Parts: sequence; C-alpha cells; structure tokens
Amino acid sequence: MKNTLLSFLALVATLLFNPILARAHHGWAAFAAESQITLKGKVTEFHFVNPHAVVEFEVKDDKGQVQSWEGELPSRSALGPRGWTAASLGDKEEITITGYPAKNGSHAMRVTRIALSNGKELTLGDGNGIHSRDSSVNPFNR
Amino acid sequence: MTSKFRSISPYGSVGLFALLAFLLFLNLASAQVSRTEGRIQPESEEGVPVTDPLLKAKCGSCHTSDDRGNMLRLSWERATPEAWERALKRMILLAGLDLTPSEATHIIQYLSTNHGLAPEEAVGVMYEIERRIYEPTNIPNTVMNACGRCHNIARVLSWRRSVADWEELFRGHAFLYNVRPSEEAIAFLAKMAPLHTTEWAAWKARRPDRSVAGHWLVTASVLGRVRYFGEMQIESNGPDGAFNTRATLQSVADGATAGRSGRGIMYGSYAWRGSSKGSNAGDSAPNDISNDAREVMTSAPDESSAEGRWFWGQYQELGFDVKMQRASSDATLLGIDRPLLKTGSQSNRIRLLGDHFPPQVSQSDLNFGSGVVVRRIVSNNAKEVIAEVDVAIDAPVGKREIAFRRSVMPGALAVYDRIDYIKVTPDSAVATFGDQTRSRGYQQFEAIGYQNGPDRKRHTDDDVELGPVDVTWSMKVFYESEDTRTDPVGSVSPTGLFTPAADSPNTNFDVWVIAQAKTEKDTDGKPLVGKAYLVVTVAAYTFNGRRYVRDLDRWVDDGPARPVRQ
Repeated sequence: MKNTLLSFLALVATLLFNPILARAHHGWAAFAAESQITLKGKVTEFHFVNPHAVVEFEVKDDKGQVQSWEGELPSRSALGPRGWTAASLGDKEEITITGYPAKNGSHAMRVTRIALSNGKELTLGDGNGIHSRDSSVNPFNR
Repeated sequence: MTSKFRSISPYGSVGLFALLAFLLFLNLASAQVSRTEGRIQPESEEGVPVTDPLLKAKCGSCHTSDDRGNMLRLSWERATPEAWERALKRMILLAGLDLTPSEATHIIQYLSTNHGLAPEEAVGVMYEIERRIYEPTNIPNTVMNACGRCHNIARVLSWRRSVADWEELFRGHAFLYNVRPSEEAIAFLAKMAPLHTTEWAAWKARRPDRSVAGHWLVTASVLGRVRYFGEMQIESNGPDGAFNTRATLQSVADGATAGRSGRGIMYGSYAWRGSSKGSNAGDSAPNDISNDAREVMTSAPDESSAEGRWFWGQYQELGFDVKMQRASSDATLLGIDRPLLKTGSQSNRIRLLGDHFPPQVSQSDLNFGSGVVVRRIVSNNAKEVIAEVDVAIDAPVGKREIAFRRSVMPGALAVYDRIDYIKVTPDSAVATFGDQTRSRGYQQFEAIGYQNGPDRKRHTDDDVELGPVDVTWSMKVFYESEDTRTDPVGSVSPTGLFTPAADSPNTNFDVWVIAQAKTEKDTDGKPLVGKAYLVVTVAAYTFNGRRYVRDLDRWVDDGPARPVRQ
C-alpha cells in the first residue's frame, strides 16, 4: 500500500515538475496520408532547424515553368545524429524528392525520401512523422 | 515566519498546488529513503571544510561535522548561486530551516564563494542562468536519459560533486523518481563535474578582492547590433556583496536617454545577480530598455570588465547582451553604429560611441586597419565621433579591430567585398499568444551577413560571419491546419521584433520570418533573402487530460486539465 502511494506521488511529482523537451508545432493533417509523389528539382535553400528541417527547391512543370516547393523533413535534432549538417543539401543541388503532398494543393510536401543526383540517398531515419496518426502520441511533443 | 528571502533566480514560479503536492511527496519519500537506504556512503575524497558560524549553526543539526570541519554532503559539493539558492529553499520548505532574508543572503554568499564554481566552470551553464536558448551537443544519451527528461542539463552541471556525492544523488533519484541509476551517467558526471578541479584550485588562489563599486561604461546589444550605450554607477549597500546601481543609457538609433536604478549582489567575487527598473517603465515598448529587468553578469578575472544579459518578459525572452568596462579618464571606445563596410566604398559616415573623447580629434586618432582611410572628422564631442572613411577596393576582407588612440575594440568592424548569404538568427524560435494568465511571448530577430569561405559553399565551417545587415522584415505563414484560417498571427517590426496577435486564435502557426537585404544582391541580381522558422503557439494546451504550459525552451506538464471558466 505504501509503495503504491509512493509510486503514485512519484508519478504526480514527476508529471508536475518534469519539463518535457519539446517544440510545439503541428501534426501532419494538412498532408495527404496515402499517395506520395516524386519530383526532381534543384535546391534553393536548406534550413537545418527545429522543429522541422525544410528544403526549398525549384521544379520545372510540364510547360517548363519553374515552381517553388517546400519539403518538410524531421527536426535538426533528429537528423543531426544521422550525419546531417546545414550543408547536406547544397545550393542548386539536384535532388529527387518523394513525399506526401499538401492536401490544399500548395507546393509543399512531407518528405519521406531524398536522393542526390549521384544516386546517394540521404537517410531520414524512422520516416517523417510516421507515428503522427497514433492518437496516443502528443502531437506537440514530437 | 522569517524564511522568506528575495529570489535571485530568474525563473518562473510554480503553482501552489503543484508545490504542495511536490513537497508532500518529497516529505514522504525522504522519510522512506532514510529508512530504507541507511547511512550515506562514506566519502573517500577530501572535503571542503565549512567555517562559517551561521551556516554551521543553521544546518549543523542535519549536516553533521567531522573533526576536520567537513559537513555532511555540503563539504563535497560546489554549485552556482542559483543552485545553492534552490537547495536552501528546499531545506526551508522540507526540513524546516528558518532563515531571515539577510541570513539567507549571507549563506548563499558564503557557499557561492567557498563552495562555488570557478568562472571557467560556470561558463558552460551560464546560458540557463542568463535565460538563453541553447542546445548542448556534448552530453551523451545516457546522461540525457537519466537527467534530461526532467532537467535542463545546465541545472545538473551547475553542481560539482565528489564521486560518492554523485552516487548519493542518483540513489536518491532512483528511489524518489523510480529512475534506474546509470553507472555510465554517474561516471560521466563524476568526470565532467568533479569536486576537485584545477580551475577551482586556481580560482581560489587568485580570487580578486576588489569591490565592484565604481563608475562603469555600458553597451547593450541585441544579437550583435549595439542598441544603447552609457554609464552605470555602482555603490556598496551593506555586507555580503550588496550594491545599488544607477545607469543612464543612450539609444544609438535616436539619441533618446533612459535612466535605470537597481540593486544587486556580487557572489563569489565574479557573479553579479541584480535587478533594475527603468525610470519610465510604464510606457515601455516590449523590447524597450526602460523595462524592469533581471541582471546576470560575469566579471572578468581582473574585474576591469563584465558581460552578461539583462532580461525580462513572460519567458525572459526579451533583453540585451550587456558589456561593461570600468570608466577611466582616458578616451574609451564602446561601439560603432555600422558594423559593415564594403570594399571600394567612399565617404562612409560612421559613428564611434564612447566616453571621454577629447575636444580635439584628428584622423590619426582613429585606426580602422589596413585599407580603410579616415577621410575627415565630421563632428565630435565627449561621447561620440562621426567620421567619414574610404575603403580601398583591395582592403582585406573579414572582421577587424578598430581603435581610438589606445582604446581598441576587437572584431567591431567587418570589411567585405560581397555577402553571399543572409542568415536570420535565431534560425528557429517560438513565440506565444497570450491567454488569461500569461502575457504574449515575443521574439527578436537579426539578419547576419555571411561570406562563403574557401570551399565556396554555404553553411560550412569556413564561412565568415560579417555582422548585422540592414534588411526589411516580413513574414509568411507556411503551415496552417487543414482548415483555412484567417486569424491574424502577428507582425514583425522594422527592427525585427515579432509580436504575436493580441487575440489568441487557439491554434499554432508555422511562419517564415523573412529578411530581405536593402542593398545586397545575389549572383542573379536579386536581393539577398534569409528566413527563420518561427512557431507561433498557444501558451498552454490540453492533451489526454493534462495541461501543458510553455517555458522558455520547453513544454512543462502543469497537471490535470482544469475546466475552462465561462
């Protein structure tokens, strides 16, 4: 009984006083959940930041018009241990990029795969928001 | 009840309910620990004897002394003033320690001086004390898993302990929080934060005894750009390192002056902890230097200068990087109003800010280094000199020192031939909508120009940071929840301060804060652009029946969600 009480109080105190390292941001509801698209483009900027790294790139459409896209990747904290740096995607680097497009038709995607022009694939780890549809996971704390 | 003393810690308060629950828990658990864990492990390392009569009288009944004057646990620990203050508060709340405010100040001063950290040891944890967001990268996962789930790691490293004391700490945590002790974590901390260090031994031997009282010159900068300069008078105000302050600061932008008065304590001969109020704080803009501020400063070893941060705001997110140096009768250079000069540019007007500039100033008094020639002195007075300078087309690029006679400012000016890219700093940040109980959380940005290094690539180690670039600011929401919203998110001022909208839309936004250079262009002739990733978030949210509130760099579990009052 005493141990149960102590365990409960420990839990209460832990929950009350344990700051949770987190970056408040968003879930992935704005991106399509099933079908992915693949694009070829040139990197214009790579933001190696939290809560998401973002690659900006240009894609030529069927008519040769240049479209600006943004791809959201995992956080800097998640990518850093996998060898990523701010220079991993250089200016004007040609990439083949795959991901879930924005539902609203804007030129944005949740990136699941990036390959460089030399065929090298950059490792994103355990997917990008792969657990986000699990309702038990706090969407603010990924 | 006398056990109330003015806090030196710049951290937010916790709810009464949370505090009571925690104390109840600790009381029960502490009693359990003492019954189940038995005696504290004997120490094998030499302790630091306690000599202060008040400390021995107040703490000696629990922290028993040996025949060498070592007090249980205390003699095998060293810590920052904030850490000792927290420890003292714990003892007041849990162990019934009864102290007057002056007694508490005296004990914290004694412990910070005799059981403190050397300045070199404190450097690594100052980011937390100065309330800066910083992500240490040299902490192994074992330690982060053991400590980082609950603590900012700086709080852990605010202590130096003997091996036995680190083990004791982990034993207590294992019992109280059901955290499995990690031998690897203990070994890391015992090695990284040992009781006896060469830094501490050297500091004890050379610790200066000079009073901080006197006349100081002050500059206040934000993200590398000098915003204010002026002076501060510090006067002794009793024992235990207490002082009163008066400061007058002048805006670099418009010449307006702001008065400040305050008080502070110099702990351990180098750690200034103070607070000050502006003379017209009631009318202050959020980022105005007239706001009431906490002051955290670290004095240089020779006590001729100090630097740190003055800060305020709901999350202590606003403030200035402050540098101070002792005033002298010699001319002293404090800053310049434009930190960048382009090669081949002519007649650049530049303001030098300082003190005791002489009535007669000639071009030869100023030295901007190779390739930068002073064309003429436009005007001068005791506080500023305005000069026109020409920069040779082949002037060496990079940061350089500038000098007025014998007063030198290292790295104050950058000469450049091109800016390859702009980096907005911080590159990612959080701002917060207000709610019924919390004010808005702001975010200041600055645009820094960079030149690619020899590898000609961006964002690599050989890039040269040039300094703040004049830009126009804008913002763009780049992520919204599925439903299209039209709620206002906020705005960015011409000086790069993001202010969230007054009314919380009760959702989060991901925003690009965009800096566009006023004059610098890329190779395609387009203005250089830099972006920062800003999350504008609610102040608190509920998830799975629990309420989470924002702190400076993290979300804190605030307990069970409470019904919203209509």
